[in-house]
Amino acid sequence: MGAGGARYLAGRLLTSLLIVFGAMLLLFALSALVPGDPAATLLGPQATPEFAARFVREMGLDRPLHERLWLFLSNVLTGNLGVDVLSGRPVAGLVLSVLPSTVILTFSAIGLAVLAGVPLGIFAATHRGSVADNVLAILSVAFIAVPSFVVAILLLLVFSLWLDWLPVLGGGDASDPIDQAKRLILPALALALGWIGFIARLVRSSMLEVMAEPYIRTARAYGLPERIVTYKYALKNACIPTLAILGLGIGRLLGGAVLVEIVFARPGLGRLIYDAISVRNFPVVQGSVLVVVVLFVVVNLLVDLSYAAIDPRLRDQGRGGAAR
Amino acid sequence: MDDPLLRIRGLTMTARTARGPARILSDIHLDIGRGRILGVVGESGSGKSSLASCLLRLLPPNLERLEGSVDLAGTDLLSLPEPAMAALRGTRIAMVFQDPMSALNPVFTIGTQMVDVARRRAPGLTRAQALAKAEAMLARVAIPDPRARLAAYPHQLSGGMRQRVVIAMALLAEPELLLADEPTTALDATVEAQIVALLDDLRRDIAGSIVLISHHLGLVAQLCDDLCVMYAGTVVETGPTAAVLAAPAHPYTRALLACEIEAGDEGRLASIPGEVPDPVAPAQGCVFAPRCARAEPRCHAEPPLLRDIAPGRRAACHFPGAVP
Repeated sequence: MGAGGARYLAGRLLTSLLIVFGAMLLLFALSALVPGDPAATLLGPQATPEFAARFVREMGLDRPLHERLWLFLSNVLTGNLGVDVLSGRPVAGLVLSVLPSTVILTFSAIGLAVLAGVPLGIFAATHRGSVADNVLAILSVAFIAVPSFVVAILLLLVFSLWLDWLPVLGGGDASDPIDQAKRLILPALALALGWIGFIARLVRSSMLEVMAEPYIRTARAYGLPERIVTYKYALKNACIPTLAILGLGIGRLLGGAVLVEIVFARPGLGRLIYDAISVRNFPVVQGSVLVVVVLFVVVNLLVDLSYAAIDPRLRDQGRGGAAR
Repeated sequence: MDDPLLRIRGLTMTARTARGPARILSDIHLDIGRGRILGVVGESGSGKSSLASCLLRLLPPNLERLEGSVDLAGTDLLSLPEPAMAALRGTRIAMVFQDPMSALNPVFTIGTQMVDVARRRAPGLTRAQALAKAEAMLARVAIPDPRARLAAYPHQLSGGMRQRVVIAMALLAEPELLLADEPTTALDATVEAQIVALLDDLRRDIAGSIVLISHHLGLVAQLCDDLCVMYAGTVVETGPTAAVLAAPAHPYTRALLACEIEAGDEGRLASIPGEVPDPVAPAQGCVFAPRCARAEPRCHAEPPLLRDIAPGRRAACHFPGAVP
């Protein structure tokens, strides 16, 4: 990697750090600015005033705002995400225990979406205007339009309750990978279906755009086989916009995972956040949302880097003029 | 011309447009001699590039009708099935495109693209052999440090360098018929002069015939053995370059020549009064009659046929100029 590549990497890293920092400020603001007394919200009306006062002191809620902000930031930097006020367990431990489940679900879904969506998109582009292309277009839009929790409920009804092919609920026995894999199929499919349609449409339109470029005409003018023209010369160019959308899509997928985890009663970050929000357990909300933000930023950083690996023009950004 | 390499007869091409079918090429008759360089000149929209796309049979998607015959040493290119036509591209016919900025794939190195062309021409070559061949060709087109350039991406080279790469690719294909569509138009004047000098230098190395398409009469005069002047999708005059330029028979050729002398590089063909005829509603008589200073009633009523006016010279004019 040249000087341009290093500069590109440094720029992306800096942006990522800024995003995480901004998210931390917002999360802090969430706990500091939400109206009402946090102690009263968390402990409920039955708490005695003495208990509430001790709670406020232990949480550091009696200190000035700037001190609390500093405490929050420095704690996070040392890996301390705070303590779950209800169970007394550290939030970091809670999050780590359910993180793998969500990561596996999200990446299975995106993997499934890419494996199905990209070939479908290429097929639609190379058979433009055919019956198959039109059928795919209708199906894709239908997949995109249906929310993933609706798909989740439908899949659950059909494959678990009626056909009884797959287990219904839960994450599965931790010591049995086959059982876990079986319980992954439906949630991953529910999450992926809309993305299959979306990626298929995206790949189709970028392929069509690329196939009209002069360099594709050059490849054809030299008689390169259509297989090489499509899968080598066109696909690599068409991947660039698709990758960019995928990076942003991870955020939406993580959001979708919350609902799918609830429908399938799977343990995961989504469930953790949902449960914490319903009882106003702010430390847990803060800690787990922060982990989601970091996950999203890391994935986008990886996407940006692979973007640069595919497109040499990005690596040379700002490096100045070409050789004469 | 005895036994030409390429014999075009009655080539007519119409395209669908929003306003109805447009006549892009009408009734082209043209021979290209073995080992000769034919210059095709005319204004933008005169059908020069469409002629080239017919020879390569890479046709626009809005093509409506294609008639006539294009005979390459006994094979009619227009009636060949697509796989047989594809087999000729990059082996017997190759093309240098107009804009070197977009003719090369931005996400593959020069080396990769040249290796694909070399191995397409000679399927037995190993990658190393193909790279060595590509390097030799880059050296042949006077690219400094050719080995390093093989690892470069197109955006890292200047326009002139890219056009040299594109020419080197065409040389790798060792075609019987090389089509060059405005190979210097996208370049600035100094670089253009260098590329013209390179082409002049290479003409001895290229065993096959060359069709050089240009709106620049000076370029054609310098490089070409024969000249074909096109206007509004028809051939109005053909003959040996020197003879045509010395005593142009068609009024359009005379007007072209006058523009070139008066306006130099700037105005090129723009200063002929009047407008190019509408391809959707072609005129009844001679295509040039509306702009011709010497048009007579017969010119507006009856289209002139391309006919012999002297040995080796043909013109489509009812009143051709005196030819010695």
